[in-house]
Amino acid sequence: MTQTSWVDTRTVLLLVSLPLTGLLLLPTAYLVARAGGVGLAEAVDYLARSGTLRIMGRSVLLVAATVGASVLIGVPAAWLTTRTDLRGRRWWTILLTVPLVIPSYVGAFALVGALGPRGMLQGALEPLGVERLPSIYGFWGAWLAVTLFSYPYVFLSARAGLRQIDPALEEASATLGRSGLATFRHVTLPQLAPSIVAGALLVALYTLSDFGAVSIMQYNVFTRAIYLRLSLNLDLAALLSLVLVAFTVALLVISARAERRTHPATGRTHGAPRRVALGRWAWAAWAFCAAVVALALVAPLGVMAYWLVNGVQQGETLRDVFAPLQRSLRAAAVAAGASGLLALPFVFLQVRYPGALSHLVARAAYVGYALPGVVVALSFVFLGANTLSVLNDLLGLSSYRTFALLIAAYVVRFLAQAIGPARAALLQVNPHLEESGLLLGRGRVHVFATVTLPLMRSGVVAGVALVFLTVMKELPVTLLLAPSGYDTLATRIWSASSEAFYARAAAPALVLVALSALSLVYVLEPDD
Amino acid sequence: MRKLRQFVAIALLTAAVLSVVLPLPNQNSGHLLTAAEAQGSTLTIYSGRSEDLVGPAIEQFEADTGIAVEVRYGSTSNLALTILEEGANTEADVFFAQDAGALGLLAKDGALAPLPSYILDSVEPRFRSADGLWVGITGRARVITYNTEALAEADLPASLLDFTDPAWQGRVGFAPTNASFLSHLTALRVAEGDDAARAFVQGLLDNGARQYENNSAAVAAVAAGEIDAALVNHYYMYRVLAETPGASLASYYFPGDDIGNLVNVAGAAIVTSSDAKPLAQQFIAYLLSRTAQTYFVEETYEYPLLLGMDADPRLKPLAEIETPDVDLSDLDDLEATLDLLDEVLNS
Amino acid sequence: MTESPAVECCDLRKSFGGVRAVNAVSFALARGQFMALLGPSGCGKTTVLRLIAGLERPDAGQVRINGEVMSDGAAIVPPNRRRVGMVFQSYALFPHMTVAQNVGYGLPGGDGRARRVAEMLALVGLRGLDERHPAELSGGQQQRVALARALAPQPDILLLDEPFSNLDVALRSQVREDVQRILKQAGVSAILVTHDQDEAMSMADCMGVMFDGAIVQTGAPRALYDDPATRRVAEFLGEANALPGEARGDVAATALGDLALRRPARGAVDVLIRAEQIALAGPGQGVPAAVTRVMYYGTHQHVWAALDDGATVIKARCAPDAPWRAGERVALRVSGPVAAFPAGESAPP
Repeated sequence: MTQTSWVDTRTVLLLVSLPLTGLLLLPTAYLVARAGGVGLAEAVDYLARSGTLRIMGRSVLLVAATVGASVLIGVPAAWLTTRTDLRGRRWWTILLTVPLVIPSYVGAFALVGALGPRGMLQGALEPLGVERLPSIYGFWGAWLAVTLFSYPYVFLSARAGLRQIDPALEEASATLGRSGLATFRHVTLPQLAPSIVAGALLVALYTLSDFGAVSIMQYNVFTRAIYLRLSLNLDLAALLSLVLVAFTVALLVISARAERRTHPATGRTHGAPRRVALGRWAWAAWAFCAAVVALALVAPLGVMAYWLVNGVQQGETLRDVFAPLQRSLRAAAVAAGASGLLALPFVFLQVRYPGALSHLVARAAYVGYALPGVVVALSFVFLGANTLSVLNDLLGLSSYRTFALLIAAYVVRFLAQAIGPARAALLQVNPHLEESGLLLGRGRVHVFATVTLPLMRSGVVAGVALVFLTVMKELPVTLLLAPSGYDTLATRIWSASSEAFYARAAAPALVLVALSALSLVYVLEPDD
Repeated sequence: MRKLRQFVAIALLTAAVLSVVLPLPNQNSGHLLTAAEAQGSTLTIYSGRSEDLVGPAIEQFEADTGIAVEVRYGSTSNLALTILEEGANTEADVFFAQDAGALGLLAKDGALAPLPSYILDSVEPRFRSADGLWVGITGRARVITYNTEALAEADLPASLLDFTDPAWQGRVGFAPTNASFLSHLTALRVAEGDDAARAFVQGLLDNGARQYENNSAAVAAVAAGEIDAALVNHYYMYRVLAETPGASLASYYFPGDDIGNLVNVAGAAIVTSSDAKPLAQQFIAYLLSRTAQTYFVEETYEYPLLLGMDADPRLKPLAEIETPDVDLSDLDDLEATLDLLDEVLNS
Repeated sequence: MTESPAVECCDLRKSFGGVRAVNAVSFALARGQFMALLGPSGCGKTTVLRLIAGLERPDAGQVRINGEVMSDGAAIVPPNRRRVGMVFQSYALFPHMTVAQNVGYGLPGGDGRARRVAEMLALVGLRGLDERHPAELSGGQQQRVALARALAPQPDILLLDEPFSNLDVALRSQVREDVQRILKQAGVSAILVTHDQDEAMSMADCMGVMFDGAIVQTGAPRALYDDPATRRVAEFLGEANALPGEARGDVAATALGDLALRRPARGAVDVLIRAEQIALAGPGQGVPAAVTRVMYYGTHQHVWAALDDGATVIKARCAPDAPWRAGERVALRVSGPVAAFPAGESAPP
């Protein structure tokens, strides 16, 4: 026998991903430890309070409404830009995706400036006798803001899905005498469901963890309650956060169920999709896209540009944005690269070695994604200042707030975003290709590098880009964990806007949006 | 399109690589201990006040004293929490907080070291901790900022509690979850009891009072004519006036020692586990120096708390404000306030 | 000293989640031989192939290649060190690589690589297509690239997993001939997995028939066809009529008269008569019957005829020239010896 033992690939993957899973569950463990400080009676009493229950109810309502609206915007927009002769569909694709990069704390604020009772829209309508617009605050404002800055998750994933559906299925339905609408409903939509579910899951988790939009819109949901409790009773805040974790787990279960109910197509995709001629509906399609872009993109950018110009005219001094830009870029690039790399063992375990353990490990990443950033940040503060202090002393570090710890926290928060697209990409790679490579005498690493990775590249890159643009706008982790003096575009925006220096906030905000928007080239697949 | 795409993709990748490879302009963290730091000659400040506000003052301190300062900016409550979570290993030497409540929270937890009397004695007793654990740096008066097109001073009520009157239906705004309002509500609880405080908030809500995320948003809403008046801190109005000189805004103080006239403070304290206490004292003393106080007056329109300093001439002088009889140190029981607020807002 | 077999499997076993896919499979393949593993889909034949390739880990049993132990229970040599080539049903060509890159994938770098790639492409008749991508090739061409790629590193054995099932029928026989020629030319030992008995019998030197995870019979195609071990093997290998009969040593009495048996038997039996053993003639020249249905194929025709007992229908495969019509009275005769199995042995589902 030449070589007897062969280390099982699954074992290797588990050995790599289990420690990482531990890290991913760190915030949860921290919360459990913290919430342990609450007595059982007190916990039950607090959770059963009508106020607490109402907060939960609002969170559920907001998640449901946001997901619903995101699907209603994202799916038709995806269909229009992939399957119809809509004019300028490439530009629409880009414009409809860009709102993803607008931080919700910036976007919601700008929305109030534009659509508030006496905002810019009202100003424009004043000559017509409009004294004030209906209040934007509360549920409707929160719903609008969260939807406008998160629907691109559904849009992107529905687009990817539509491009993979075999057009022959739709043609078959047409030949069976079904109308276009019936075909969409009975053939296209069921095939598209997994993509919609994947996008909707991200929207739901985004909604659960978002703080900026709900706090500006004064809608009292989980994250706001947690933030308010945090400074006063950390144990209760931890308890609330655990309820949030439970919500997340429920969402994951629901989405997994929904995905399992769908039936994968039997054949392979052949040929280019048919494009539906919009005909006299073209104007309606245009109006739809234009309305979404106007609200989600033009309004916030316009308000920021207005603040900037106005501030400069008032003699406001702008601070240098180059240094924070470089820090933002550095942190985002390293965190995105690390996430892309670390997502791989998770994705491989889940796709190539499915099983209870693999699923558990892969799902752990989503918990960090759904927790409010400050909870993740505090768990790392605790870890860094206490658990790691011995290590830091050994290394001679003056502070536990190292760049490495910052990156680790980002990874814990956003790894899920890298896993999603990479998983979808790996599912498309026939395992026989890898087996062929092995049988041709190449080692697993070589086969991975020359066969698997090139074939799943676009998915990995898309995930990396998503993490990149999310880290660019991340706030609480950066504030609490960044090395001293490491201020980024996001912290600059926060610092200036929290003191109402809107002009000072606008400059870094516009730079942030512009740069993140560029990273979307990696997310969007090239058309034709 | 494809060319453009490739160009953008490559340009961004290059930028990302450069950002990682090139040294940062003033990257000075996670480094090995220098001799100076080992002796504790670096001062670390956790600042709940934003960099835009206090950054220049801190730079001035560094320039004047040659002491290296590292600052962590964040929200006051998150930083207070961070200090608690870091425990004995906290890096903070000084905590510079936006309000007295957070300082009270740390004081109660034993996280603050006593200040020397020469610092404490430079401010009025009503603006410092009775135990000498923290000191106010600047004062933030609660006022009513109103739109002068909609209201004249004479239209405004004699007491804060009168805003629950149906006459104010839909015309008033406040920032219920903002720390400054929470402190104010706590003061109301301390002074008048929980029931009065609950009735007040409930009355405001029943009266259609509008909720805003923070004072800035509320003042902006007043300036925009969205509402007629807002319960805010005094200085936000001046910021709006600085950006929009013609805005129709004015501020109103209640007569007598009405609970509406609470003056809260932004304060500073030394963290117990600090190994640079002399530097920390030096820094707090600097914040209470004429230079720094003048800077705050000019930049933030807050009240200087250093005895003998005058506020911005447009402000009602601090000496003329009759503050209610509430000890700022008692404002640390924010949790009960929050419970109360939760109950009212979520019912 | 005798040469060790190219492949030797001893008591291989493999289950997936409680389902036994491969149950005690043992066989040996001599060097240079072409073996076909034949069986219905789901019988475990592909799993046997994957166990040989090292893509699956056996629960128990041994795999030896050229005498070297490759798998022995849990201890196994990884697939990339086995010198085994494989052609997948889907061909598994790397879609992002050119034909030349695909074929050269398993070859060491250097000058030799280009030469070997050219040699392989010439062998499979794809000269000049080096720079194409798989998507730009026809199914038959893709199949040859897959073959060239698998053969390029000169594997000790080649495994083919249903390699022809994705091809058009018109193309299939041509490609089969080509593949057989190429394999002989390359002198490689090969195992073909298929559910198509024509494919197995026409191409292989020897074959194994698999049902339900076990190999039921091995041998040369002719031997298996003529002398199947079980009724199920017999019916799987070719069209056959099953008739009850009473065996008395060398003959059995059936509705088609006394038929000569391949092996002596006694008692109640089921006799299997191949369709091509039935000859049709005008009335009076054998057992009388009436034609019920005719299917004409050009090269031959199938004729179904009902015996006068009303219950028995016999399928015959005849030369294409006689113009039989439904309803016509005929006589049936059986030529050559037939196989008999104890009555009641279950028929294949």
